[in-house]
Amino acid sequence: MNILVFTKRVPATQEEEIRVIDDGKKVDLSKVPFKLNDWDNYAVEEAVRIAEKAGGSVAAVSMGDAESDEVLRRAIAMGASDGFLIEAATERQDPNGRATLALNFLRKQALPFDAIFTGVQAEDDQFGSMGGILAAKLGLPFASMVIGIDTFEKDHVIVRRELEGGLQERVKVSLPCVLAIQSGINEPRYVSIMGIRKASKVERKVFKAADFQEGAENMIEVERWTYPPTRGGATMIQGDADNICKELLGILKEKGVFQ
Amino acid sequence: MSHALIIAEVRRGQFEERNLDSIGFCSLLGKQAVLLAPAGEYAIGEKSVDTVVRVAAEESLFLNPLNMITIIGKEFETRGKPDVIVFTSSSSGSELAAYTAGHFNLPIITDVSGLDKERSIFYKSYYSDKIFGEFRPAAGGPFVVTVRSGSFKEHAVEKPAAAGVETMEGLAFAGGRAFMEYVEEEKGEIDITKADFLLSVGRGIGSKDEIPAYEALAEGLKAVISGSRPVIDKQWLPKARQVGTSGKTVKPKVYLAMAISGAFQHIAGMKDSDCIIAVNKNAEAPIFQHAHYGIVGDANKLRDKLREILKG
Repeated sequence: MNILVFTKRVPATQEEEIRVIDDGKKVDLSKVPFKLNDWDNYAVEEAVRIAEKAGGSVAAVSMGDAESDEVLRRAIAMGASDGFLIEAATERQDPNGRATLALNFLRKQALPFDAIFTGVQAEDDQFGSMGGILAAKLGLPFASMVIGIDTFEKDHVIVRRELEGGLQERVKVSLPCVLAIQSGINEPRYVSIMGIRKASKVERKVFKAADFQEGAENMIEVERWTYPPTRGGATMIQGDADNICKELLGILKEKGVFQ
Repeated sequence: MSHALIIAEVRRGQFEERNLDSIGFCSLLGKQAVLLAPAGEYAIGEKSVDTVVRVAAEESLFLNPLNMITIIGKEFETRGKPDVIVFTSSSSGSELAAYTAGHFNLPIITDVSGLDKERSIFYKSYYSDKIFGEFRPAAGGPFVVTVRSGSFKEHAVEKPAAAGVETMEGLAFAGGRAFMEYVEEEKGEIDITKADFLLSVGRGIGSKDEIPAYEALAEGLKAVISGSRPVIDKQWLPKARQVGTSGKTVKPKVYLAMAISGAFQHIAGMKDSDCIIAVNKNAEAPIFQHAHYGIVGDANKLRDKLREILKG
């Protein structure tokens, strides 16, 4: 089975404070570290596991600036045999634009594949749409929120989709297909610095996004960046560590959950 | 008259409550609402939309993206194209929305939690809910949205007349994907929804090695330990302890959130707790917007201090 995995290099903003600058025209990410999108990490791992079991190969594709090569090196260190960078100067916010770029790339390069994996969503834009749009444009079956791949046969896969509140559904999907992989589907392997160094000896092919732009114009635009509405917020407990703990325990006693 | 097309989410015979957010979104936009709904016996509250189209496909066929494009294609043929196609922001809603946008080549904005009608702006969260983008379709014509659960339901008001009911039949689906069965998650060793006091930890604690000390603190406080999605995904805690949309929805007397920044999917699972206390090193963390009490600081240090005090 040959699997293409679309990966994205994203800012790791979960534990960072981020600011809107330039009158709402920009979000300042200059102090934020970047990394492989969490969901894509699971997608690469899942693809590599299938290739290890059933044979075939995994290639990672990334769209972004030159530094996105970093996520390709990581994917290769995890077990992918190829890395393709579609280099673009500016970041695209529109999932339609990204999907069309991917579509044109796949058609022009005529890369063979049995399945395309993406992460369910990228941590930065949380659109969760690129895989589904690409599948529809390719005219291929699609399943998202894939939390388990039960069987992987020559002409179909049987996957479990995560629904809400602990419920899943099992669906049969014909190959070739596009699957959007949910976080938690596996335990991604550890990648050492040595491993990444070794991976960087594998040649990655670089393409220019400008060659695949046909029909990839943005269909949505961002007027401005802003902060979410505030809702009154919490009463802040302040002071030194002893005071904070005392007050916290006081609240727990008052609420009757701690004696 | 311009109209909005709403795709109903019906799951195991239940008209999901989050459909009200889709309906409220259309009311707020001031659009005639046409609801596409699968076959089956369930109540819709038919006064809240203008037209209900009962599609001759049961829910497992209806919630299949490959079939949905056939259904929507037929709707386009009979009624014409709508201004907007509205899906729920759920596992299936998001899947259907992306496939529909791709197939019909339509703009898509997902996870919309607010709108400014005058400026034709739709608010979408970015960076784990820390930033909102003000989005709009670049050109006229139909576009696709998914709406965040809980964001618009209060606008889903009853209309004076009951909805007109139509049917859609004679659909031929192409195949390529087939529903097999529902799978219930295994019962865990504990039911966190029964706990009065939850001590919940997030990825901000840093590593799995920190868990035993949190378990010791929970024991000292007689709290039950739970966690946010990343902690479960990384297998620091078992799945039965997950709080959030894909885990458990909890309403304890006290919810003590340590090093959880507060992504929407987590908030949705704990926002109705009687008392929420949040500890996070980032004063701007979204969780403080939903907490009753907040502490800005290192959760691991606070944990150690509390353990010290409890040891007395």
